[in-house]
Amino acid sequence: MTEKERLDILEVWLKLHRGLIFKVVRAYTVADHDDLFQEIIIQVWHSIPAFRHEASVTTWVYRIALNTAIKWTKKEKKHAGAETLDKVQHLLHENRTSIDERLNWLYGEIYKLDEIDRSVTLLLLEGFSYKEMSAILGISESNVGVKINRIKKHLIAKSKKYENHGI
Amino acid sequence: MEFDEMKKIWDAQNNQPLYAIDEKALHNRIRSKMTGVLRVTNVSEWLLMMINLGAGSLLLLLNPFKPGANTFMYVETAWMFATVLFVVTSRIRRIKANRRFDRSIHGDLDHAISLASYRVWLSRIILWNLLPMGAIMIFSGWEAGKFFKVSVVILVSYTLAFYVGSKGLRSDKRRRHELEVLKEKLETGN
Repeated sequence: MTEKERLDILEVWLKLHRGLIFKVVRAYTVADHDDLFQEIIIQVWHSIPAFRHEASVTTWVYRIALNTAIKWTKKEKKHAGAETLDKVQHLLHENRTSIDERLNWLYGEIYKLDEIDRSVTLLLLEGFSYKEMSAILGISESNVGVKINRIKKHLIAKSKKYENHGI
Repeated sequence: MEFDEMKKIWDAQNNQPLYAIDEKALHNRIRSKMTGVLRVTNVSEWLLMMINLGAGSLLLLLNPFKPGANTFMYVETAWMFATVLFVVTSRIRRIKANRRFDRSIHGDLDHAISLASYRVWLSRIILWNLLPMGAIMIFSGWEAGKFFKVSVVILVSYTLAFYVGSKGLRSDKRRRHELEVLKEKLETGN
């Protein structure tokens, strides 16, 4: 595969799945959006030659984005306080128009979950099947089911508190 | 709120772009790193040339009239001029070599790494250059019959200079390492 072909593919993938990556970035970090986004893009770029069309592009990109985010979160925890080497400020401009306040709340609640539950929640909200989630996350379908039940109950309970506070 | 409602809120964001990528910002960031290293390199080259040229010229002018001037003082002068010549030729070679980089993200990053490597190389040479210069000064003091006094002054001042130079070298190495890590990330993803 030539560099040009790879770039073209990345461009198409980014055009189609940019939103997906931003969702993962937002769910996995509060402050360092730029760093994690950059890391995911780099990993997606490197994954292109390995893509064999066995899964859909969406699943593939999601898998890479989530794995990168999980690894990144662990690494960030390990090196908390250390200056990252390649801080690229202002890489992203947040579009703050028309954001539903409840969406911010939902992201906030997802962020509070542990790394795997965060991934499950994102995939669930994106409408992935148990089978797909199991393939992406490398956990059994029954485990996915158990986690989903627990997460749903947790989020519904939290939403009741949120609504009662009238925010 | 039921989960289906959350899903609706979630899906609604698909119609709203959350962010826009500013690819230019990435390039600007790398370019600013590159110009930063270039500026520091230029300043240190000019400083080295001016200091050695100034001190060497001063010694050359004063030595004939100075009582107790000796051969080693002329050797010291020659050494300083040789250092100037060395820095000038290194600078010319560096400028010529740097013309091969294009103005793409990778080109600017390679340019920044090349400059940082050059700085590490130059800092290391200048640092170790302190040893022969100090030795010549001590010999000069010995010939003038002021071995102890000159040795103490040289030892203290050169130790201090060596310490400061080592810190500079470490900082140069760190800067180069940061750039290399960024390049590696862009190229290999590790």
